[in-house]
This record gives sequence, structure tokens and C-alpha cells, in this order.
Amino acid sequence: MTASTWHLDDALAQRYAGGGLSPATAASVEQHLMACPDCRGLVGGRAVAAEPDRFAGIWSEIVEEVHAPRRGPVERTLRAVGVGESTSRILATTPTLRGAWLSAIVLVLVLALYVAHASPRGALLFVSLAPVLPLLGVIATFGPQGDPSHEMAAAAPYSRLRLLTARTAFVLASTMLPALAVSQFLPGDRWFAVAWLLPGLALTTATLAAAHWVPVHRAAIGLLALWLALGAGRWVGEGPGRRVTTAATTVDHVVQVVQVASVVVIALAALTIARHRHQLPRDLRRNE
Amino acid sequence: MSTIDGHGLVKAFGRTRAVDGLDLTTSTGVTGLLGPNGAGKTTLLRMLATVTSYDAGSLRVLGHDPQDAAARLAIRRRLGYLPQEAGFHRGFTAFEAVDYIAVLKEHDERRARHAEVRRVLELVGLSDVATTKVGALSGGMRRRLGLAQALLGDPDLLILDEPTVGLDPQQRIRFRDLVAEAGSGRTVLLSTHQTEDVATVCSDVIVIDGGRRVFGGTIDELVDLARDRVWLDDRRDPRALAAWRLGDGSYHHVGDPPDGAQLAPAGIEDAYLVLIGPTAAASDVA
Repeated sequence: MTASTWHLDDALAQRYAGGGLSPATAASVEQHLMACPDCRGLVGGRAVAAEPDRFAGIWSEIVEEVHAPRRGPVERTLRAVGVGESTSRILATTPTLRGAWLSAIVLVLVLALYVAHASPRGALLFVSLAPVLPLLGVIATFGPQGDPSHEMAAAAPYSRLRLLTARTAFVLASTMLPALAVSQFLPGDRWFAVAWLLPGLALTTATLAAAHWVPVHRAAIGLLALWLALGAGRWVGEGPGRRVTTAATTVDHVVQVVQVASVVVIALAALTIARHRHQLPRDLRRNE
Repeated sequence: MSTIDGHGLVKAFGRTRAVDGLDLTTSTGVTGLLGPNGAGKTTLLRMLATVTSYDAGSLRVLGHDPQDAAARLAIRRRLGYLPQEAGFHRGFTAFEAVDYIAVLKEHDERRARHAEVRRVLELVGLSDVATTKVGALSGGMRRRLGLAQALLGDPDLLILDEPTVGLDPQQRIRFRDLVAEAGSGRTVLLSTHQTEDVATVCSDVIVIDGGRRVFGGTIDELVDLARDRVWLDDRRDPRALAAWRLGDGSYHHVGDPPDGAQLAPAGIEDAYLVLIGPTAAASDVA
């Protein structure tokens, strides 16, 4: 390579920076710029002076590319299934998406499955326990420990109702999907495997509806207690001495009644939520 | 126009009236909120930050009534709030924690939002730990992280509940600088237990006790309350409102000085004691 015998003058640098040269001339200027630091400096100065906004934009893009935070596994999964960028950041704080929570859910389900196989009425136990899981998720998410930033979130303009709905949908998904997978291995009638879905939905929608009068997590705790009391009452009422065949018919009957009751509860809860949709749930009007 | 305008504000929890007929007005500049523990400072700030409602009285924040849903939204869009307990999801990095609040504050465009998060982290001196998990940050750093999220979007009103708690002296100086700068052209209302914070950054002071305002005015007006009511003596005088031993062995007294007492210049602390009474000496401001 030989040293250049010519250099860019002001006018040429100006026109090149502004993009006003013919392709052939521009190519020749570029060839020269590769070898000549002085002229590069000249053009650089011109370019920034000519379009400061454009260069600030390019710079911010570079900073963004270099410094953009790496997303955690939860956010990456959410993005992959089509959840928006900002929504996935918000959902990433939902406690039921944490590894410890998911492992606990799977452990409970596997244990319940074991009992279902080991005891003649074990399937009923599974069907009674599975609907409780989303409630536990709601308690974990909306309880005092749920969102450590809740006080700042409360003063932010983001719609509280939208936050509540998105998080609840996520609690449902993260508890019911594992339960659905495990329940496929239940013994007995195939429809037992999905018998808990309606009560699960009923308890969760009832929680959301009740949230108009009591804080969400308290509504969930109340319904959880009610459900367990009903289940325990039923269990004791049947008595331990009955023959298995009788118990099996009773189980079928109980499960059918629960299905019908669940549909009624879901309908009522949906009506309540629709009626109050413009008001904020109780704990989002937090007064304490 | 005043940024905050409240009259006869009441907030009760059961039978306790945390805020009990309180009046306050603030405009551009930094206003300090002083008062003993349990005086109602946090309840008042939560009320102003639209987090909690009030039971009686009238309130306008940035010209809107926070009791009305649409107006509340308008306030929140122009508000920066550092709560007393500003917690963050521990699994998030410092950057993600502030980014999360930025999403809640409707910074929707990713690139602009990230640039804003970087700006506020730089302001509080946390750029270097942007990728550190919140759980691994020190208490002082987490406090600064709280301050960073309050500064997002350059709000017109900054409400800071004890922003200097957990900061070391250097950080506190940096913080004062930040707040003093923030106070030009906007309203900052901060509660603190540090009378030094008030002396260095605040133009106005509000002192509340038992849910009521017992003083509102400038620093000079506050200090004036203790003028000629501070004296030094070699021995502790039991008639004084409050007295404490100084490094040189003499006693600093606040109260009604006896005849011929050696008067000393008054400070904010002295005025605070005159206002709140002897109980204050036993509680927290010192």
C-alpha cells in the first residue's frame, strides 16, 4: 500500500457525511478513508455535526445491544409462547413461577397419585386435593410476601385489574398444567382425570369474585378452608367400615354433584366479576 | 399553584386516628416532614402517593383528588414514590428490578425504557452493580435502588419516605445533592429522622405529632422557635425540657432558661424538641 497522494477537503467530507456523493465517488472516498486516519476524523466530525439525533440514536442502539440484560428462563419461556415483552417482565415476579414452587406442586401431585393407586378411595383424595393447588398459588402470589414491590406497584399507573388478571391466569396455568399431566395416570374411570378441573376453576373464580369484598389472599384462604371442611365432612360421614363397591358408587355420586355445583359457582362468580369489573378488588384499594 | 393542598385530613385504623385533621400545603422545592415515630408520617405520605385513601377532609395532589379513580391515574403518571419498605423481587438483578417498576409506570417502549433505567441507576451510583442480583446488594444499595425507581420518568412530585435510612455518610451527601437538584422545578416531600437532612436540603419543614401538624414554615422560622431557649451549663438542670451531655463535659439544655444562663445558638433539633416536648428526647430524633 502506498500513502495517499490526495486528501478529502471540507466540502467533499461534508457531502460524503450527508450522503450526497455518487456511488462511484463515495466508494473511492471510502477506499481512501480505510487508509487515512486524518480524513476519517474529518468525516466523523462532519457526520456527528450534520445529524446529531441520528448518531445519538445509533449510539443508544449500540448501548442497548451491549448492555441489554439477559432474560431469565421464565421470561424467555413467556416470550417464546408469545407473551409481550413488558408483560413477561411483570409475570416473572409471580411466585408460582419459581423453581421451588413448581417442585413442591409436582411432589404433592406425585404423592397424591401414589395414594390414589394404593388406596381404594385414593382417587377421590386426588380429585379433592388438585383443585386446591391454584388456591395455594393465589395465596402465595397475593399474600403479604407475594410481591415485595407491592407498595411501589400500588403508586404506579399500571392497571391493577390487569395485573391481577394476568397473575391469576398464570397461577392457574402453572398449577393446573402439571396437575393435568399427573392426573392422566390416575386409576379408574378416565373422566376422573379431569373431574378436578371444574372445582379448581370454580374455587379460583370464586376467589376473584370474593376479592371485591375481602383481600384476594384472604378470600383464597377462606375458600380453601371451606373446601377442605366439606371434603373432610364427606369423608367422615361415609364412615370407614363400608364396602369398597358402595364407596365407589358414592364417590361417583359425590364427584357428579361437585361438577354441577362447580358450574353454578363459576357462573355466579363470572356474573359478579362482570358486574364489578370497573371497580377495584378490595386489596387493590388497600387501606391498611 | 401548590402541588399538594390538604385540609382536615383524617385517616383512622379502627379506633386509632393515624392522621387526625391535618392541614398541609407544599409547592415547588424540597419540604421535609419531621415527627416522632407513630406521628402519622408514613400514613400521610401513603395517602399523598395514592396508595391509601383518606376518611375525611379534602386533598388535591398535583391538582387532582386521589379519591377519584381517573384523577388518581393522572397523579400516578407524574409521581415518584419511595415507600418506607421498598422491597424488590430478590431473583431480579438491580437493572431488572427497576425495569419492572418502569413497566408498571407505563414505559412501554423497550429501548427507551432501558435507557431510562440506566439513567436513574447512574444517578444513584448503581451502574456498576446493574447486573448484580437484588438479594446480593447491601442495605444501602437497596435503598438507593428504591430511590432510582422513584426518579424514573422525571416525575413532577417526589414523595420519599425516610430516604436516608441505611445510607453511610458519603452516600447521604450524594443523596442530598441529588434531592437538592431534583427540588429545582419540582416538588419533593421527604420524611426523615435526620435533622441534618432537613437543614441541608429542605427549604420548608412540616412537623407533625399525633396525626396533626404542629408546625409548617421555613427552616429559619422553625429554628426561631428555639431562639433564647437553648443554654449551656456545667451541670444538668432538671427543669429543662431536654438536656444532654456534650463532648467537652458541659450540658446542652433546651427549655426555659434560668436567669443568667449562658445562651447558645439554637438548631433544628432544639426547635423540634420545643415543639414536640420531652417525649421526643426519649424517642428518636437526635
